[in-house]
Amino acid sequence: MVQLPPLTSGKAGKLFSRVAESLLAVAVGLLGGAILMLLYGYDVPTAYRALFLGAFGDLSGFLETLAFATPLIMTGLTFGVALRSGLFNVGAEGQMYMGAIGAVIIGGRLSLPPILHVILATIFAMVLGALWSLPAALLKISRGVHEVVSTIMLNWVSFWLVTYLITYQLADPARAERAVPAQETARYIVIGSSLTTVFPVVIAVALAIYFILWRTTIGYELRIVGYNQDAARYAGISIPRSFIISFIIGGVMAGLAGASQVIGRPPHWTVFATMGNLINLGFEGIGVSLIGRNHPIGIIFASIFYGGLLHGGRFMEFEAGVASELVRAINGIIIIALAVPGALEIVRRILRRRETVHGT
Amino acid sequence: MNGKGLTRNETVLAVLFVIALIVAGVGWTQTGQRVTETVTNTVTTTVGGAAQTVTTTQVLTSTVTVERPIAPGTVKIAVVSDIGGRGDLSFNDMAFKGGDEAERDFGVEMVELISKTEADYVPNLETAAKDPNVKLIVGVGFLLSEALLEVAQKYPDKNFAGIDTFTQFLAVQNLGKPLPNMIDIVYEEHKGSAMVGALGCLVAAYYNEKGGNYPYIGGVFGIEIPVLWKFEIGYKWGCDWGLKWYEQRFGKRAPIIGEDGRYGSGEGWQNGLYCPTAGQCWYKGRVLWTYTGTFSDITKGYAAAKPMYEQGAIAVYNIAGPLGLGINQAVQEIASERRLTSGPPFWIGVDANQDWINPGFIIASMMKRVDRGVYYATLLTVIGKFRDVAAESNGVLTLGIGTRVGRLSMEGISVSTLGDLDEFIQMGVEAERLTGKQVLPMPPEQIRQKVTEMRASLPSWIWDALTELESKIRGGQVEVPMVLTKDAVDQWRALLG
Repeated sequence: MVQLPPLTSGKAGKLFSRVAESLLAVAVGLLGGAILMLLYGYDVPTAYRALFLGAFGDLSGFLETLAFATPLIMTGLTFGVALRSGLFNVGAEGQMYMGAIGAVIIGGRLSLPPILHVILATIFAMVLGALWSLPAALLKISRGVHEVVSTIMLNWVSFWLVTYLITYQLADPARAERAVPAQETARYIVIGSSLTTVFPVVIAVALAIYFILWRTTIGYELRIVGYNQDAARYAGISIPRSFIISFIIGGVMAGLAGASQVIGRPPHWTVFATMGNLINLGFEGIGVSLIGRNHPIGIIFASIFYGGLLHGGRFMEFEAGVASELVRAINGIIIIALAVPGALEIVRRILRRRETVHGT
Repeated sequence: MNGKGLTRNETVLAVLFVIALIVAGVGWTQTGQRVTETVTNTVTTTVGGAAQTVTTTQVLTSTVTVERPIAPGTVKIAVVSDIGGRGDLSFNDMAFKGGDEAERDFGVEMVELISKTEADYVPNLETAAKDPNVKLIVGVGFLLSEALLEVAQKYPDKNFAGIDTFTQFLAVQNLGKPLPNMIDIVYEEHKGSAMVGALGCLVAAYYNEKGGNYPYIGGVFGIEIPVLWKFEIGYKWGCDWGLKWYEQRFGKRAPIIGEDGRYGSGEGWQNGLYCPTAGQCWYKGRVLWTYTGTFSDITKGYAAAKPMYEQGAIAVYNIAGPLGLGINQAVQEIASERRLTSGPPFWIGVDANQDWINPGFIIASMMKRVDRGVYYATLLTVIGKFRDVAAESNGVLTLGIGTRVGRLSMEGISVSTLGDLDEFIQMGVEAERLTGKQVLPMPPEQIRQKVTEMRASLPSWIWDALTELESKIRGGQVEVPMVLTKDAVDQWRALLG
């Protein structure tokens, strides 16, 4: 079971005000969306009711929401863990593509006994994701290359490399527009709607990250590096080692996110040549992490909320007739509003760091 | 700045910031910017025709927003589109057009669901199927085949139809028999493509007679999927048929495109014709073709068509939906360079009637009546014959030239006529009336005039040939090859290029 922070008034008060902040942000976001809908003459209560009831109101809808949330939990953590250690790893996108293609290779091209197949495909995906995070890590520690630059460039390299592999090496011979689907033995078991047993795996990994970051020495060191690199160095913590670990953890989770969309998502169990079912999941993870305050538990909840928006939007279209593009705009407003507190925190942290370096 | 959440000032700042964002977002939306990919790509060009096209796309997207009151018990049909939804001026727009017409004629209500990613297919279909008033769910596009298989099984009391899907093939493969509540609506694109292939090569022959130098016609394809093989081979076969018709009619080979030696030499080649077996000769290599690998990246349409025109293709056939806009860009470039008011160079539209996009520069469109598919599926549902037809046809309905289902004529393929042009111009006029924004590139009468002029400028023997081919196809006297397997495609490519 997850251990709650000790209930001293300080920490509980902090948690409470954080939740209050998020609720305020939700309210502001919904208000913004409502204004947009009113301007185009839509029935706001019907639309929002459709959104929330559709995403959370019945079992199959909720399972679908969880299916949309699954990859976001992982890509959110990629960014969140990196941020905790003082890094801006925006490479979840590219690392996720590599994870997906890894799952395609093992899941689609190899034949293995059932449980072993799933495990191997998942592990291979995580390894590829981790490997893809290494170049940025190494560049950072050896040359001080800012990881925002390197990871974004690597995202594009990954995108084209994976597109090439899908189109020319791994294409389904009967269906040129996608890669070879994962074989039955490599697939996670369907729970309901589009949700599979990869979801509990993802939750377990997220909880493991919480445990690592807050209950182990390595995690503690990572967080110290994030708070104050100089203090960490004087305390004997190896910064390069912490960075590498942070990147690798991020890559592993992004790789799992990619795998979840291949061997963990019916009905296609594959990646399309356009990568439509993967694109943007990495970047959306950044938003999710901000909403979840870069904390594994927060990220889980933020992902579920985000997944609810992604899934619930179609009900707004269906029942209130809201145009598809407008639904996306409304989602965007809600997410921006929610991300503001988390973004403020980062700004504060940067300013605080400047203060301690230059301050009196 | 303590760690205890927002101070009052910070709260105020945050709220003001978000409100500012909202105002900015609203202001942005009000200036008519849209987020569909189609628009972004076309906006980057500054050529006259293309800029007009941008407005068109915007407007067709906005016509979605009218909300109708739902009377209890109204029969509803749901149309689930592929990624991109409205605004492609082709496939998806045709599907919604069919739905609109079904609404008008049968008193049903159409509900739309637009898929943002592949992950949305199943949830969209399920959302529609769960509604008790929805009696028919239509999935538009072959990519929805698996999703339809899954959802149709779960909701056996609802009717499902797919445009260009192969769900029944999957059903037979996975379940051993077709689904009783599902109809794959497919088309005889090879027949229509043959007609525009003949048209293109005869137009080349005509302009070569007059002194032009057009040794090729072109074809820009999307993703290389089996459906597109039908287009490809039909198109090439049609060109061959057209040139053979010319030979018969005029007693000599068509200038340049019919007699030149450039297309090949060596084994099997005789005077510009490829004759692998005695007495069986083919006009091989007259068609320049490429698969761009996309149905949405318009720039690839431009990049593929430009070299074709440079090599002397008189017309390029668009078999990639919105990529026609890219091909149009290439045509417009040449037109502005040489100050032309009508083609050559030409392009050939697909799916919807695209003749009006750049009047005078599009010879015709190979209309795949996706709208009729949605319309007929609704008709069958409304008159209660859907399951019967599904059973009789093993769940796959092929709409083409001369198709009849029972006593109903269900044509699905045609080459655009001036009558079709009027229909689409009317749609544009309606859209302009509803939204107050310009859709058509020029006033309707001007569009009609330019297209009529262009068609009249072509000699009547070209249109005679087309009519002859159509009636022969209809009557079964010619058989346009329908390729579904890689082997068949390779065989025909060996003969036709």
